[in-house]
Amino acid sequence: MSYAYLFKYIIIGDTGVGKSCLLLQFTDKRFQPVHDLTIGVEFGARMITIDGKQIKLQIWDTAGQEAFRSITRSYYRGAAGALLVYDITRRETFNHLTTWLEDARQHSNSNMVIMLIGNKSDLDSRREVKKEEGEAFAREHGLVFMETSARTAANVEEAFINTAKEIYEKIQEGVFDINNEANGIKIGQQATPTNPALPGAGGAGGAVNSGCC
Amino acid sequence: MEFLKSGIKTVLGSTEPGQQPSAAETVEKLVDRVYSSTLLEDRRDACRALKALSRKYRIEVGAQGMPPLVQVLQNDGQDAEIISYALDTLCNIVTSEEFDEEADNPAVSVNVGEQFTEMFIKSPEHVTLVMGYLDEYDFRVRRGAIQLITSLIANKTRELQELVLVSPMGVSKLMDLLTDSREVIRNDVLLLLIELTKGNSNIQKIVAFENAFDRLFDIVREEGCSDGGIVVEDCLILLLNLLKNNSSNQQFFKEGSYIQRLAPMFLLNNSNSNSDADDSAWTPQKVSNFHCLLQVVRALVTPSNQQQVVTACQRVMQKSQLLQALCDILMSSGVPADILTETINAVAEVVRGDRENQDELSRVQAPSQPPRPAIVVLLMSMINEKQLLALRCAVLYCFECYLYRNSDGQRAVVQTLLPSSATDVSSLSTGQLLCTGLFSTDTLANWFAAVALMHTLVENVAQKEELLRVLLATPGGQRPITLLEQCTNLMQQERYRLQSKVGLLMLLSVWLAHCPSAVKALLETQGTMAYLTAQLCANEHDEREYLVQGMCAFLMGLCIQFNDNSLPTQRREDISQLIIKRIGQETFCNKLSEVSRHEAYSRACKQAQIRAKGASELLLDYEYCKLYKGLEALIAKLVSGFDVDGIELTELTLSSEASALVAQYKGIIRGMDAQIQTLEQSSKQLEQQNVELKEQLSQEQSLKAQLADQNTLLKAQLAAQPTAATAATTTTATATAAPEHPAEVVNEEQLNAARYQANMYFAENIRMTKELETLRQQLAAEKQRADAANESLLATQKDQEDLLELLADQEAKLARYESPTNAANDTNSR
Repeated sequence: MSYAYLFKYIIIGDTGVGKSCLLLQFTDKRFQPVHDLTIGVEFGARMITIDGKQIKLQIWDTAGQEAFRSITRSYYRGAAGALLVYDITRRETFNHLTTWLEDARQHSNSNMVIMLIGNKSDLDSRREVKKEEGEAFAREHGLVFMETSARTAANVEEAFINTAKEIYEKIQEGVFDINNEANGIKIGQQATPTNPALPGAGGAGGAVNSGCC
Repeated sequence: MEFLKSGIKTVLGSTEPGQQPSAAETVEKLVDRVYSSTLLEDRRDACRALKALSRKYRIEVGAQGMPPLVQVLQNDGQDAEIISYALDTLCNIVTSEEFDEEADNPAVSVNVGEQFTEMFIKSPEHVTLVMGYLDEYDFRVRRGAIQLITSLIANKTRELQELVLVSPMGVSKLMDLLTDSREVIRNDVLLLLIELTKGNSNIQKIVAFENAFDRLFDIVREEGCSDGGIVVEDCLILLLNLLKNNSSNQQFFKEGSYIQRLAPMFLLNNSNSNSDADDSAWTPQKVSNFHCLLQVVRALVTPSNQQQVVTACQRVMQKSQLLQALCDILMSSGVPADILTETINAVAEVVRGDRENQDELSRVQAPSQPPRPAIVVLLMSMINEKQLLALRCAVLYCFECYLYRNSDGQRAVVQTLLPSSATDVSSLSTGQLLCTGLFSTDTLANWFAAVALMHTLVENVAQKEELLRVLLATPGGQRPITLLEQCTNLMQQERYRLQSKVGLLMLLSVWLAHCPSAVKALLETQGTMAYLTAQLCANEHDEREYLVQGMCAFLMGLCIQFNDNSLPTQRREDISQLIIKRIGQETFCNKLSEVSRHEAYSRACKQAQIRAKGASELLLDYEYCKLYKGLEALIAKLVSGFDVDGIELTELTLSSEASALVAQYKGIIRGMDAQIQTLEQSSKQLEQQNVELKEQLSQEQSLKAQLADQNTLLKAQLAAQPTAATAATTTTATATAAPEHPAEVVNEEQLNAARYQANMYFAENIRMTKELETLRQQLAAEKQRADAANESLLATQKDQEDLLELLADQEAKLARYESPTNAANDTNSR
């Protein structure tokens, strides 16, 4: 499958918040209720369409456990987007967000798009973190926020796609250096011949829908 | 050397003539110099000298030099030269490589490098320090650091991998070096990464995440793909490290469309194939490169991988024409044997269990005259004893993979053996080749053919039954015998060697399993059971004989397990009795377990691929072992479950859980038995009642018939009566007119009354007939109902009683009617 762009994502957050389930729901459209600890990192991929362009998402699902933290850190640098996930039914996973964010900001490239995800929105009766708190945290740290449920698939697509849109916009604005693959972005054969990263070439880029080959 | 010696002299000052200092003393002085010199140049010279000595006097330099060298690394970072000396010296100390200079030094043991590595990494910060110098752009420093780390990893892989993982961005930093424009650095980093990624899936994943696949493919392309040098091989080895047993990376590889980049590398340059350079094209380096390429393909689709990854990769390999390219290699000439072997193995795994790929393989035609299917050509090599063992094994593996979960493929092979199939006599068929192999004088061909044939039957009962129909012509024009018969005959022949027997026993076992008609066919053959019994009773003391005995026991067990008792003298009990009386249950079970105790068993169980260093190692097959594993315990239980009298003591052999279940079922069955008995009784009663009712009914019917007759009679009488009466009146009118007038009037009146009565009775009679009709209908209904239940019977009886009463009534009425009529008649006649 040819694509216009390829984005690398990572999913981070405490253990048991549903990172692997989010990935599984996004790539396979199914839910696995049994918690199966992620060892190290797992990989998943899917194609999406933004602005008429095929975009391939390659997603690395990291292990939330402290023991794997140094491994997780190796993935920040090469990622274009990160989903930072907490569990709305467990307050401590929300409290740890600051640590995660510091870690991410320290090791990633400064343009990495971070999306804050409050997962398990289907368990509203056991909710410990209010939606407003998530929103406030996101506003304070300049993140995009969304509550999702990997079980019911609510907002899962949106979470991944909105992150991609954000990255796509940054490319159009010329913020990302798309020729440096270390940023987690790769141009496919399908991309527009003009380099949107060059000054002047961006802006109207969204309107250019090149026919795919 | 002279220069070095003079160098040392200038550093240490000239020694007194005739007094050569020992190496240890020299090193001690140098170490002192490194420690204490205030001038950088002095320390640098000392380091250079240490480096020069470190190859010949590794132990001395290593024992004393490590702390000062580390100190240099810590403090003299700004001077690239001294750092490079320090790194090189350390590298010489810890390397596992043996230098020519130290070859005659008995003090240098094999693992001296490893011991120094252990000493060096005891402080993890040493490693961090060295890793820090990777950032240094200076060629000598960077290369020195890379080489030192490579040596350290080679000696203490696990420890170093952990250290690299915890060092911040350790792996990422190493990956960055792969883009170094200086080829030497890039190539050295490749070697480092090969060591680093060995057996550590976390590092493998990070390396892949850091765009390793892209980098490696770029380098391979730059270096000329499979025609390139050793760097290509290094890249492919690293690629292999990243993919082997790492499903996450395999998925990434597939999703990243890297299989599509792999496929063109398998295209042989066909324009050259006719030129003189044909043979020389396969240089040793190209053979190595190609071998690695094939290994990469297999790493993606090997049966031990996750099923979904294998399937997905197989699909892509077909679509990207990689499979086709591999098949082209199979059928092209001049390919070295080991490449051909590995290509066959790769094709095997690419098609295994994937119908489309299997079909594609079956359609490949060899460019021979006449064109033959590739599979036939491959099988020809398999049964050809002049072919290399590895190649023959690969062909069998490929054939197995072609048949794996491919019932159509299995059927196609078996069909070629059946008499009905109209095959061209001149063209060789797969079935014919397998039979040729089976009856060949080459033991290995026997074994290969038996196993190949066995795979046409795996998990396919329909083909097991079809193969029973295969007939073989016998020399001398006697009656044709079945393939199964021929197999049992061969097995019993002395000249048929052990390996061949093992093959046949596997074929027969798979054939019999889950197929009662095959069991029956085997039991009907001459002497097979006697042969098996004799094998089990024999007291041979050869390890390989033990294996055959175990396999014979397994075959006998299958004859019990899948026996449908259709042969009156060879039922399950009969065979069990044979075992009990001639072999003994204990002995039987012991012999049975010989199979799993044999080393060939554990070897075959490991993987589907057939691996053998020597021909004698070819004994058991993967699928046979799977069958054996599944049924061994069952057969052992079954056989020890029979007692001397042939009663199956199944409960003893069952687990407590199972016996509880059996007890439960027994209870249910008992309850059902009782129910059946009561039902039978009640049905008997009902039948009896039915008979009685029928009798009664026929009685009633005859009674009714009588009544009807009487009725018609009466009707006739009634019709005759009025005419008779008028005639009587006219005739009697004159007679009665004169003498007895009042009496005549009375008589007239009586006659009228009687007429009236007669009319009334006539009407009554019609009504009664109608009633009778309805009653008859009722009775018919009653008859139906009577069969069903007792109540209806009683009702009918009651109805009938009523009817009887009515009839009696009627009779009485009729009697009553008859008498006045008679009286009237009498009076009239008078």
